Amino acid sequence: MSKESVFQVIKESIVDILPEISTNQIEIALSLQDLGANSIDRMDIIIRSMESLGVKIPLVELARVSNIQGLVDLFYERARA
Amino acid sequence: MKERVVVTGMGVISSIGKNINEFTASLKVGRSGIGRIYNAFDPPISVSIAAEIQGISFDAYLEGCAYSTEIPPGFTNEVKQCARRAPFAVQGSITAAIEAWSHAQLFKNTLAPERVGIIIAGNNLTEHYQYGLYEKFKQTPEYLSPTYALHYLDTDQVGILSQIFKIRGEGFTVGGASASGNIGILKGFQLIQLGLVDVCMVIGSMAHLSPMELQGFYNIGAMGGKRFINEPEKACRPFDREHEGFIYGQASGCLVLESFKSASAREVSKLAEISGGALVLDGNHLSDPNEAGEIRAMETALNQALIDTYDVNYINTHGTSSPKGDEIELKAIRKVFKRKTLDIWINATKALTGHCLYSAGVIEAIATIIQMNEGFVHPNINLDNPIESDFKFSGKELTKASIPIALSNSFGFGGINTSIVLQKVK
Repeated sequence: MSKESVFQVIKESIVDILPEISTNQIEIALSLQDLGANSIDRMDIIIRSMESLGVKIPLVELARVSNIQGLVDLFYERARA
Repeated sequence: MKERVVVTGMGVISSIGKNINEFTASLKVGRSGIGRIYNAFDPPISVSIAAEIQGISFDAYLEGCAYSTEIPPGFTNEVKQCARRAPFAVQGSITAAIEAWSHAQLFKNTLAPERVGIIIAGNNLTEHYQYGLYEKFKQTPEYLSPTYALHYLDTDQVGILSQIFKIRGEGFTVGGASASGNIGILKGFQLIQLGLVDVCMVIGSMAHLSPMELQGFYNIGAMGGKRFINEPEKACRPFDREHEGFIYGQASGCLVLESFKSASAREVSKLAEISGGALVLDGNHLSDPNEAGEIRAMETALNQALIDTYDVNYINTHGTSSPKGDEIELKAIRKVFKRKTLDIWINATKALTGHCLYSAGVIEAIATIIQMNEGFVHPNINLDNPIESDFKFSGKELTKASIPIALSNSFGFGGINTSIVLQKVK
């Protein structure tokens, strides 16, 4: 699985949770907060993405992630492990 | 001096109509919403008929709202944001509430949010939602949606509805099993009487049961539908010799209650007045009805409303089609009204809607107000051989009737008895 396809999975989760956002608005440097996600939306997007990718990451490890790029990197690393 | 309380808006979504107009038309012709259960359960259970809400898409409904001139722009976006993925029962409450709010002209004619309250009637509102998540949860608990922690709470409905409708006064849920709807109306009535709010949205939440609750009701012996399994529309037969238990129904209903003063100031139609109500307990944790408790509920409600038994024209009974329940309710009515029972119209809306459990009181108050205002009593479609003869049951067809004053009964497991008095506004 490439980083691009991890990003794709995250994008799908984002548009599922945030109906007003379309995929072309989602830039990798943005944070979920920038897209208007509240704290519960953010957890929902992260958990959905983890489920789609089949990874399980303790939520404490997500604390160091600050934007979508960070999520992609973390998920990519764990999906390969 | 206590505030007078009137109804200024009504909304409904049910197996016999997805709005007040459709619901009224079904009451008039005596259309039953009971049929074979749409999607078989996993595992298969002993219950196979019910009055389900079918053919409704919440998204499509909201699209329709976006074109309504009554509803402010932006409203449907807010609803989508809060409730697009909320459980079905929450979406049902919102649908009924939008109709009632619009009916009461509260979208264009707003009040101070602090003077508006909300009551969600019903308890254990998320059974179907929880059951649906359980299988996956057993495999991968890590993937449980975080929104579960919000949605599993009954009070999620208070949060969502108060956000959407900008309600900032008192708000809570009331639980009373099958009497919940009437308790919601009674508590809303009291909030306004006490002057704590001017408007109170009372929602009878849909009971969206999981197969486990349905099987539980079956196993306790409360459900009918055995003899008429191949003719589901005949299975719910309140007060008929062949009654055998209740049939599960789905409906969400909403009443906007308002102080007489506020409704007059806003110059909106007063659909009915709530003039009294009572909630009394038997002190009994079981499912059996109690004649003394039912008598006390009806008498207390009438006393509170300062209404003589001779002035009551119609009773919307609890009438679930349960042999014991039907028998006891008629006995209780006879004790309260004595010879007058021959002059009081009696019917049971559950023959058409099934037993909507938590929302039953609200749905039946709506049915009562419709019959009052349109001057008819709806048919008792399955009443072939009444268990008692000295009552004025409505027949198989719509009958014209003048109903200035009505009583609506709801009784719940756990010895919970309620009765409310509704009357035309003078």
